[in-house]
Formats: sequence, C-alpha cells, structure tokens
Amino acid sequence: MSARGLVRALRDPDVVTALDAGGWNGLIAMARAERLVGTLALRIGDRRVPDAVRQILDDARLDAEREARQALWEADRATEALAGIDVPVLLLKGTAYAAAGLRAGQGRFIGDLDILVPREAMEQVEHALLRAGWEWVKDDPYDDAYYRQWMHELPPMIHAGRDRMIDVHHSILPLTARQAPDMAAMIADAVPIAKGLYMLSPEDRICHAAAHLLADGDLAGGLRNLWDIVCLLDGIDPSALEARAARHGLAAHVGQARRLAAALYGEGARLSFWDRIVAARLLARDGWGRERRKPLRFAFSVRSHWLRMPPGLLARHLFTKWRKGHRPV
Amino acid sequence: MNHALSLRIGPATFRIGSTWRRPVEALVALYADYPAPVDGVADFTVRLEPAGPFRRWLRPSIFITGDHGLADAAPMSLAHGLLAAEMGMNLQMALGWRRHLLLHASSVEKDGRALVMTGESGSGKSTLAAQLGERGWRLMGDEFALLDLDTGAVFPFPRLVSLKNRAIDVLAAETPQRRMGPLLAGTAKGDIRHLVPNRDAIGRMGEGAKPALLLFPRFGHAADVRAVGQGEVFMRLTQASTNYVALGEPGFAALTRFVADVPARAIDFPSGDEAVALVERLWKECG
Amino acid sequence: MPRRYCQDSPDAITSCVLEDMVLLYHRPSGQTHMVISPVPEILATLDGGAALTADEVLGQLASLYDLGAAEEAGPQVEAHLAELTELGLVRIA
Repeated sequence: MSARGLVRALRDPDVVTALDAGGWNGLIAMARAERLVGTLALRIGDRRVPDAVRQILDDARLDAEREARQALWEADRATEALAGIDVPVLLLKGTAYAAAGLRAGQGRFIGDLDILVPREAMEQVEHALLRAGWEWVKDDPYDDAYYRQWMHELPPMIHAGRDRMIDVHHSILPLTARQAPDMAAMIADAVPIAKGLYMLSPEDRICHAAAHLLADGDLAGGLRNLWDIVCLLDGIDPSALEARAARHGLAAHVGQARRLAAALYGEGARLSFWDRIVAARLLARDGWGRERRKPLRFAFSVRSHWLRMPPGLLARHLFTKWRKGHRPV
Repeated sequence: MNHALSLRIGPATFRIGSTWRRPVEALVALYADYPAPVDGVADFTVRLEPAGPFRRWLRPSIFITGDHGLADAAPMSLAHGLLAAEMGMNLQMALGWRRHLLLHASSVEKDGRALVMTGESGSGKSTLAAQLGERGWRLMGDEFALLDLDTGAVFPFPRLVSLKNRAIDVLAAETPQRRMGPLLAGTAKGDIRHLVPNRDAIGRMGEGAKPALLLFPRFGHAADVRAVGQGEVFMRLTQASTNYVALGEPGFAALTRFVADVPARAIDFPSGDEAVALVERLWKECG
Repeated sequence: MPRRYCQDSPDAITSCVLEDMVLLYHRPSGQTHMVISPVPEILATLDGGAALTADEVLGQLASLYDLGAAEEAGPQVEAHLAELTELGLVRIA
C-alpha cells in the first residue's frame, strides 16, 4: 500500500464509500502521518462512512477548527506586537490561508506562525517580538550564527506564555539557495486580508508553495504542500503565473509542482524521469503510516541540504552537526 | 506490519502492529477477554518498530510510535515489549483522544457513583484503585478517567493495571495467578507486572458513572485528610489532563462543572489497608 | 491623551466562579485565566462596549465599591489594565 489511496480519496472522495475496515485503517493512518486528516475529513463531508470512521473524522474536523482559531490568535498577537514599529504583518502558508478563508486552509494542519518582513526590518522585528514575550527556542551559538548568516529566517522563537512558535522570514528561500526570489516585488505586491494583515499575491503564493515543496526541505509532508498548491491553483491565470515564477527564478519548480499536482490530485500529466522520482518519494507511506523507501529518503535529505548550500558550506555544516552527535537517519 | 492485534478498551479502539512476534503474543494472552473494535476500524494505530536500522535483530530495541508519537521517546528493550505496547496505547490516548476530557487519574465505581483519584506516579492512586477493584468496587481504570463533555459522567478506561515494585506483591496476594502478567524486571520504572481487571470491570467497560468524590492520595505519610479549595482542584486537574487545552471551550465547561459539583479531599496514608479503610469512610460521609 | 481600553469583543470571554476565584475562558486564544478581585470587576466596567481611560474605569469602580485611597487604587487599576491588554483580554481602543 502506498499513499496513492490517500491521494485518490482527496481527489475523488466518493471512492471512500467502497473501503473495507482495512482500507479505512490504512487511509486514516496515512492521512494522519501526512497531516492531511482534517482536509480528508472535510473532503469526505457527509458521505456515508462507518460510525467508527465518522467519529474519527469529526474529531479531526474539530482539531482543524481549533488549529485555525489558535493560528489566527497568534497572528493577532504578532500584529499587536509589531504595531508600534509600523511593520506590516505578511502572513505565510497555513495562517494566511485560514485568515483569508482560502480553500487551501480548510481543515489544514497549521502549526507555527510564519510571517514575512523586509530584510532591513528584521532587527526591529526581533526586538519588538522579544519585548512582547517571545523568546529564543535554543541558545546554541553555532545554530544561531548559522541561521543569521545563511538562512532566510530568524532562529525560531516561542512565546513564553502561549507556547507557540513564530518563524520570521525575510525571504522564501535560504540565502544559500541557487534561486534568488525577488523579495521586494513579493512584499510590494502583497494583498490585504484584514486590518494590518497581508498575504502574498495569488501567483506569489504558488511560487512560495512550490519553492517550499521542491527547493527547500526533503519533501517530508510533501503531499500536504502539494494539496495546498492544488487549491491555490484554482482560478489562476497560467501565463501570469509563469511570468511571475520566471521573475523569481522559480519557473522550473512551479512547472514541476503543476505537473505533480495534476498527476497526483488532478486529471493527470506527462511526468519526466525526475518528476517520477519526486512523486514516488511523496507517495512513500504505507498503511501503518510508516515512511517507506529508506534509501530514497536519505538521498533526498542530502539533496535538500545541497539545494540550500554550496558544497563546501554543506561539508562544514554536516561536520559541525556530526561532532555534536547528530547522525543522519 | 508482521504481527498485529486490534482491541477495544472502554470507548477507544487500537490497532497495534509490531515488527516482533513476542509483544503481540503477550498482548493476545492478557487482553483475551477484551472485545474487538466494532466495524474493525481502530481509533488509533500503535507501532512497535526497531529503534534503528539493525535493531530488529541486534540487541533488539523497540521504538514506540503510531498516529501520535514523541520523536525523543527512549527506545525499550524487547524483553519489555508488553510495556512498550501499553505505553504506545497510552501515548495515543494522551495526545489524540478528543471525545472526553482525559484526566490522568484512577477511578472505581460503586452503586452507580464514581470515585476519582489523581496524583503523580508513586502517589498510590493506581494500587489503591486495583485494591478497591478486588474488594467490592468496580475498577474503571488505573491511568485515565474519561469525563463526558455533555453529561459530566466519568467513563472507564480499564486497561491492564500496571503494578510497580512493592504494589506487585500486595496485589498478587489477593488476585488469582491467571490474572497476573509476566514480571518485567528492571524497566525504567523498576519492576512491573500487569494485572488483568476482573470480569466485571471488563464486561462493563462501556458503562459510565456520576462522579461523587475526588481524592488526591499520597502514599507513605501518616494518615490525614484535608479539604482542597476549588481553585487548587481546578489547577491540579488541568495539569492532570493531557487534552484540556485541545478540547477548548467544551473542556473548560466540563472541568469547571466537575470541580464545582464534586467534593475533593487530599488524603495521606501509610499503608494500603489503611488507605482502603480511609476511602470507605470518606465514601460513606459523602454518601 | 490617556489610553482608552475596551473589551476584545462582547462574546470573547465566558466565565465561571469557583469559590473566591473567577475562571475566564478566552475564546479567541483558547486560554483559561484564573483571576481574583478586582480583575473581574475591572472587566465588567468594559462590558457595555465603551472605550474607557484608566481614570474612568476607576471612577466606575469607585461608584460601586469602597476602594480606599485613590492614589493607591489608580496605579493598580492601570497595572491590571496593562496586564489584561498583554493577555489580549482587553484592547487599546
């Protein structure tokens, strides 16, 4: 069993009415592992399912609602904290989708609050958040120096009273990545959601999601990111998207994301050799919720580091981590 | 997975998969009288898998995970596989259960009313519940009490009772051998032996009861009974609940109702027999 | 201009009295706060939806309760309002 069953259920929820108990157990375990169970619950809606499944889906739906409420509250708190320094809060990912009521936000697992601010405002933002009760998660000088020098975000902060994390980005990709998105344009073209709250333009939302899925990270949780892209593509003008992606140097990533979205969640697409490997990795999940294909996973972990850093830097980074007892799994 | 078992405990159902045969065999033997999930669909998946690439055979050690897991959970010896499975189920309940307010508490029932006991591990709440369960009360659970969000009733979660160290001999003396599991020596919490709840406890695992008394027991002190203020009770119960925050407003409503309605006492006791006598006395008083 | 304070929204908070404590469940944040007098009374002055200065809150409290010396009660009310604002239970208008 691969996550193909999960992908099919999201694409066409009618198929779940034919599932037996084993099929349900596998589907639920995979959906939970991919953090898509809330989305699945909303997709299935009121279709006839066994009572035991109904309860599980209802729980997932309530969890997603609470998740969204808390995410919006964190956004509210960040807006309040930054009101004094006149930096607009640009929400990224799940919180933005929830705040704007986008389809991509329905039932979505959210987690940390991600915001984007101009690079030159980073220091001010950092101080304003520290004043408002956020604190650094770890105080390891190597990690801190690494973040500041090479990453596209501040080291993670957590709010002492509410126990929720915030990631403050100034770019959607690390500074070491080979693509250099036009962040000034992204921020300039942001669209308002509510008072003091903004999100990326529709095209930039897809560029970000595609970069997040394919240029940054090891594809873990990729099925959910790809589902975001499917939802975000709704009603998008393809030529406007292509032009925007080219401007950010992300044309290849956006193209691949669209092919994968169509292949897995849509009408199908012609996939290249590399597309197929990525698709296999995205679907590497069994009916017990376990990740499969370990060698492929390791390859992706190495590739994900390599994508973000020039090789010399990578060696130094891995070496420093290694000495401190980290081992790639 | 190679070896698997599904079972129901109270309102919750589990599908447990293991790389090795032994933990599942031990579960099958001890959970023989428990029902299977209705519909065959389990609320939670638990996985016992090798802690590293070679750990299936070489000094086998178990990583406990499932739908919900902790990345930094310490691996366990295969010899303690039964305990690993129990911990895996507890982990799912603690992190994933949403249909009741979950209190880290033991509970027993008599005449349709429930006694709930909460405290740190080592407080004696588990042993006391097990003893009461052998002396005319219905054991509802030694680890989790499930508070209904609408009615305020307490529902049972009568998993195997996990007896530790000195409690093992105390219970072994008044329980038939066939209801005692194997001795698991030298676990992180010392020696552990599981006790299968009696037929009444298992047969009535779906039956709730109105909470009538809340106790905060403390083992190893001179006998004493103290009143506990409602504010303190509320604080201690939020700390004893793993899903209070996740439930949001219904959790708030259920917990405030419980605190306002149920009398609470802190009790100290030097021995199990004195504890049972003390509980029986307090139970009559609140009767 | 002195700061004006107002409630978050009329149905943001549900409360429950337990002996001498008041528990506040704040719906937007999902947080529970345990408070004692004069916090519930201060929040009650904002129930009408008006935006009040700390002095006006104090004035309303003084008309209902015996507050003792105004020079002590004033800073206390101000401090409570600041704290409630930080928690998001009260907003600056």
